[in-house]
Amino acid sequence: MADREKRRSAGSGSCLAATVAEPGPATKGSDREFLSQAGVGELLRGALLKMVEARPDDPVGFLADHFGSLAAAVVESGSEDLKEPRLSDGSSGDEGARGARAQQRLNRALWHLRLAHHSQRSAFGNNVRVAYDLLSLTGPFGHAGDSSPAGAPGGGVSGALYTQTLRCLCGEGGVPASTSAPLLCRLHCHDHEAVPYGVFRHGVLTCAVFSDYIRQAQRLYAQVCQPDEGPASRAACLAVLGALREALETSRDADSPSVKALRRLEASAKMSPHQLARVMTEAQARGPAGHMDAKEFENAAAELFIARVKVVS
Amino acid sequence: MCTCHTFIFLCYYEYNCDREQSKMSADDVTKGVACTLKPPVFLHFGGGDSKTQGCCSGVCVIDVALPPGKTIETITFKNFYTALVSVRLQRRSPGQEGAAAKWCTALRDRPLMTNPHTEAGAQDYYSIDRKQMQVEPDGVSSIRLILKQPSSAWLTFSVQDVRIFPRMQPVRKGRIDELSDWLLLVFPPQDPLDVASVSCRLQQMWALSQVMQSSQSHAASVGRFDVDGCYDINLLSLT
Repeated sequence: MADREKRRSAGSGSCLAATVAEPGPATKGSDREFLSQAGVGELLRGALLKMVEARPDDPVGFLADHFGSLAAAVVESGSEDLKEPRLSDGSSGDEGARGARAQQRLNRALWHLRLAHHSQRSAFGNNVRVAYDLLSLTGPFGHAGDSSPAGAPGGGVSGALYTQTLRCLCGEGGVPASTSAPLLCRLHCHDHEAVPYGVFRHGVLTCAVFSDYIRQAQRLYAQVCQPDEGPASRAACLAVLGALREALETSRDADSPSVKALRRLEASAKMSPHQLARVMTEAQARGPAGHMDAKEFENAAAELFIARVKVVS
Repeated sequence: MCTCHTFIFLCYYEYNCDREQSKMSADDVTKGVACTLKPPVFLHFGGGDSKTQGCCSGVCVIDVALPPGKTIETITFKNFYTALVSVRLQRRSPGQEGAAAKWCTALRDRPLMTNPHTEAGAQDYYSIDRKQMQVEPDGVSSIRLILKQPSSAWLTFSVQDVRIFPRMQPVRKGRIDELSDWLLLVFPPQDPLDVASVSCRLQQMWALSQVMQSSQSHAASVGRFDVDGCYDINLLSLT
């Protein structure tokens, strides 16, 4: 039996040195030593903490993904250690390898971003940080020689990767590409730009919030249309969207906290059940005839949201 | 919608007619039932001899006479250095007009001052609701307030500004219900849209957009210098 040693650079955490010795009497002492040498305690603790944060529906799959991504990180840093600096290497094989690695990093970053919902502020923030570190330069030490378009050393995530991340997030959230296209236009960064952490975080959060928003809009449409009458009446939809638009316009930016609080109260009054009932009865009496289908409603709602997203500059 | 307005107008009209017939004025509700307070009687002990005045026992009784057959909702008063109050009611049940009215205790020793020797709660306003009473205050003809003040720190004690508020009679059923049934037959209700849940969902959507807006105020900038895709000559540095 061969002794196998796996050593990896101290990039992010415990070292995984597993020495398989010849079989001896399995005493308690040697078991415990073996486990502490292998750093299994740290591994399991990390896995359990992540699990508690993410609360996945499929725990086994989650654990498999978690350990898989850890293993991939080991392999990647191991392979980069072994490779020499490739300052002037332009062979296509390497390009392909780099592309595959970038895709792998993107997948891992997306997996991290999916762990916590954006409403869990601290967990989400941590995950965004981890994803950002993954997507920015190769490792925190900025290994020289990786000439992928990653901006200046110590910069940030490349614009191309950032835009791709946002696109994937919107897609996974169930937002059709046509609906999220205007949002991505506003949050878009050029391929050559290095995206700093603040912009990355804002973009990721906006996409997560937007996918929730669109889901709510879809459910709202289901509520507004009477189930047995087919598509919802145009008047009712317009009335509901009009109430939301007025509320959003009322609660625009305010300087002082008291003005902000006042505007929020005014906005919530515009969406109260009483106000809504009034607006909807008026609309039914006087509003335009015809129906509005789900797609149009969703686009109109998305427009209200996107109008308030500032263009990245 | 005209159906709703017609319905509401007819209901209001009916309700006003009913109100006049039940002989309950707005004054009853805002100022309390007109009641007469008898002067407070301080109980003394010792003093079997009518000439010598006994020691004050710290108990005072105030009788309140009401117009007969009242249903009480609340009793409010302003305290004046009374430590505990008990309420007894003389009730006559509506079926037995001829029988003698019976006394019963509605509230026993409700503390008004946390410490009878100190000032806390001495001049506060209190109200006793019918839910806090142990018996139903219906058909009440007389109320007796028994005030206790065991502390010798205060020269005198009483309660002031006692008001009795009657219970609002529920609107007489029958005519209104018949009318509403008839209206529902003639104008069937339309559109049972659940406005409350629509409003709830709108508020969630609004809150999501607020989350986005608040995060964008903290966002850094990428640091572009171009305006609308081209560089502004003023931003270019000469060095």
